[in-house]
Amino acid sequence: MQIEISGLHKTYTGAQPLHVLKGIDLSIEKGEFVSIMGASGSGKSTLLNILGILDNYDEGEYRIDGTLIKDLSERQAADYRNRMIGFIFQSFNLISFKTAVENVELPLFYQGVPRRKRHERAMEMLERVGLTDWAGHYPNEMSGGQKQRVAIARALITYPKIILADEPTGALDSKTSAEVMELLSHINEKYGATLIVVTHESGVANCTNRIIHIKDGMIGEIEDNSAHKASMFGAATVMK
Amino acid sequence: MGDLFIEIWESVRRNKLRTSLTGVAVAWGIFMIIVLLGAGNGLMNAVMDNTGDVQTNTMMIGGGWTSKPYDGLSAGRRIRLDDKDVATIAGPAFIEHVDEVSATVSQSGTVSYGDNHFSGSLSGIYPGYAEMEGVKMTRGRFINPRDIEESRKVAVISTRNARNLFENTDYESCIGKRIKVADVSFRIVGVYQVNESDMSSEVFVPFTTLKTVYGKGEEIGELIFSFHGLDTEQDNEQFEKHVKAVVNQAHRAAPDDERAIWIWNRFTEDMQMNNAVRILNIALWIIGIFTLMSGVVGVSNIMLVTVKERTHEFGIRKAIGARPSAISSLIITESVLITAFFGYIGMVLGMLACMYLDATVAQHTMEVMGTQISMMKDPTVGLDVAVEATLLLVLAGTLAGLAPARKAAAVRPIEALRAD
Repeated sequence: MQIEISGLHKTYTGAQPLHVLKGIDLSIEKGEFVSIMGASGSGKSTLLNILGILDNYDEGEYRIDGTLIKDLSERQAADYRNRMIGFIFQSFNLISFKTAVENVELPLFYQGVPRRKRHERAMEMLERVGLTDWAGHYPNEMSGGQKQRVAIARALITYPKIILADEPTGALDSKTSAEVMELLSHINEKYGATLIVVTHESGVANCTNRIIHIKDGMIGEIEDNSAHKASMFGAATVMK
Repeated sequence: MGDLFIEIWESVRRNKLRTSLTGVAVAWGIFMIIVLLGAGNGLMNAVMDNTGDVQTNTMMIGGGWTSKPYDGLSAGRRIRLDDKDVATIAGPAFIEHVDEVSATVSQSGTVSYGDNHFSGSLSGIYPGYAEMEGVKMTRGRFINPRDIEESRKVAVISTRNARNLFENTDYESCIGKRIKVADVSFRIVGVYQVNESDMSSEVFVPFTTLKTVYGKGEEIGELIFSFHGLDTEQDNEQFEKHVKAVVNQAHRAAPDDERAIWIWNRFTEDMQMNNAVRILNIALWIIGIFTLMSGVVGVSNIMLVTVKERTHEFGIRKAIGARPSAISSLIITESVLITAFFGYIGMVLGMLACMYLDATVAQHTMEVMGTQISMMKDPTVGLDVAVEATLLLVLAGTLAGLAPARKAAAVRPIEALRAD
């Protein structure tokens, strides 16, 4: 198992403590393409943050390839994120004053890769997502789909063990959404990266091979969707 | 490192106006420091220059008027120093501190050579006078012990006197010539250097010669002596009191009479001057640093604004693996670079202002009591101040960046990314 989670609890402290995750047990194998579905407030975003080492948890265990991810220093967390995890966000989160290729280079910058090497690898990555011609453009000169493809290239550049996508199609139209999901499945198949997509769109979830439903901070149903015939809408479901 | 500078350049470029406005405050601070220190240096140099090279551990004693009745004598009596006082000061009572004792006696008169003449004053002195008063010889020699012993009729004149009498500047040719002072002829043995601005330039002759020739008897003008081992102002004060008591009593004046004789202590005066110079210097630095501080606060402020504006960006950077130190070094380096860049502009402008002062104020002299005094001399700062100012700038930049950098490093990616 690449990702092993057992008995995970998370409570947000505050004036009114909020018990968000109430004992999650989950294992994901290397190279899997899974989606986590749930309504807003179900705890799926919190789970994703913990998976992405952006947030910590109170109880339980989270292991990546056997390494316990718990109580890390900021510096360690940053290094783990840099080397193990690639992020794809709903709002792309590209740096606006950097060109596409500079955005893709950034994770390598924090690994200390020399500039020329960085540029070479970033160009290669942009080619894979079909954006070679857009390398010198700034994010505000690109369409949503193009921006998301830049973000995907950025997530892939360090060859992370896990790619986490938080509503990757949330800001895209249906046609572009389909293209992005196709690109993600392609990456999953071709490079064997573990892909975890958090979504509330069943069309998106239907593209994945396993659907994990989360409800009120607990794991609900886990559907095997290798045939891509998710229960709710069936095989012919359109994306939106 | 190069990448870091590119990142910073991008950030500065996006906030050109804001950055340069703040930079002006920093530049102004450093400008003030440099100009203040430069002007201060100029003032001090001028003072030092006007004092020349006199030996500082000397005291001069002269006669005054008694201010209180004593021993049956009324107040207001003139006290004249004499040879006995010289013996007293050089004697066992003060042997612990006094090194060399010298006395002067003076006589005014017309000094002539052929048709050329000027009215001046003759000073009868001992050989030690040259060292104590910083007399610099241009040609020939100063009065020596044999001149004193044999009461030779020899004279040392100033370069100015030489020009008056011989109408040329070939001082060498003056040596051996005979000048007349009130019908007494003296052979010139040396020419000493005087400042062009110095109005009074005496003719030096041996102490003993002047006394015998002009019939001065026991009386002397002033008594000068060098001393050692009086390091504090308090020591000096006590010593002066002791001298006064002893000399006063020799002249039948009250030992505690402050006016019977006067003492001018070069050492304490010099000490006070050095103190004043030091205090002035510190004061100038403090003023400068406070001025710079407003610049630092400004830089700190824009860096805070920058961090706030870039929270989202820092969140992204951290999410994709930037360590907190990578973020904070970005901010601190930016702060140091802004401070250093504008600081250097201020420094260069400050140096230019110092050069301007040098070309204007420093060229003017003022006449004070017959002496030309320059207001400023060489009002510039040295390399040491430039280095200190550079260090100060780096320190100031780091200080300015510290709080914003910590804030930037503490950005939590989830919160930063949520806020869009």
